[in-house]
Amino acid sequence: MKLKLSPQTLLILEAFLDHPADWKYGYDLSRSTGLKSGTLYPILMRLADRKLLETEWEASEPDKLGKPPRHMYRFTPDGLRFARTSVSAATSGGLGQVALGRILSGLIGSG
Amino acid sequence: MGTPRNLAARLLRAIVRMAPEESREWALAMLRELDFIDGEWAALFWAIGSVAAIVRHAACHWRRWMKHETKEDGKMNEKGKKALGVGIGLFSSLMLVGCAFAILRIAGALFPGLDIDHLEWTHILTVIVIPEAIFVTAAVLLWRKRGPVAAGILTTALVVALHVVAHLTLHW
Repeated sequence: MKLKLSPQTLLILEAFLDHPADWKYGYDLSRSTGLKSGTLYPILMRLADRKLLETEWEASEPDKLGKPPRHMYRFTPDGLRFARTSVSAATSGGLGQVALGRILSGLIGSG
Repeated sequence: MGTPRNLAARLLRAIVRMAPEESREWALAMLRELDFIDGEWAALFWAIGSVAAIVRHAACHWRRWMKHETKEDGKMNEKGKKALGVGIGLFSSLMLVGCAFAILRIAGALFPGLDIDHLEWTHILTVIVIPEAIFVTAAVLLWRKRGPVAAGILTTALVVALHVVAHLTLHW
């Protein structure tokens, strides 16, 4: 199943690649990527639907009394592979070439 | 807890209650994050974005389910399909009226000085005129390709119009 690799998805993949073994929270991801909940969660949901992301509820800790458990996210082994390939393809110019192609075609079109 | 955060919590709790089974866990996850958000308005914007995300997720599942259902030929007869279409029209148009009413109430709670909640013309415009215009346009556009859905929408339009007539005859 294909996953649309938008710049926002890449931002999230990059955020997860920073300490990939650690569980991450929704709001922390929102702050680190600068994405609003309306953009962040659909991407997380798609990643989880494709089994690229595992989700778990935080175990309640005595020091966090009164605070309800949070939902946490982490890459599955497949997700980690997918993220590494996607991010490296994007940074090594895969997406850059596409963007350049679009700019050039725009210039040719307008000229 | 200030008004925006209070509203955000109410909105997300309502979404947790109303969300379909496959989206409920996500809605709950968004609600739980609310305690960790600094700022009243940030919390409200978080909730609004979360609602949009849940609606999209639920719609996605629903579309997939519909595709699956329509592929299974013979399982649903013509009458069933028409009834489902009318149901979809009714549900979506009622949701629109509900959302319009919710927007009005939220605006009333956020800006109490404007007294939006007690102005009759705001109710007439937001809950009646705009939705009715959308219903008629949608019904005209859908009539040929999705007749039952258009019929469902028109039914809601008629019910809302009858409600207005009843209200006017009783109160004026």
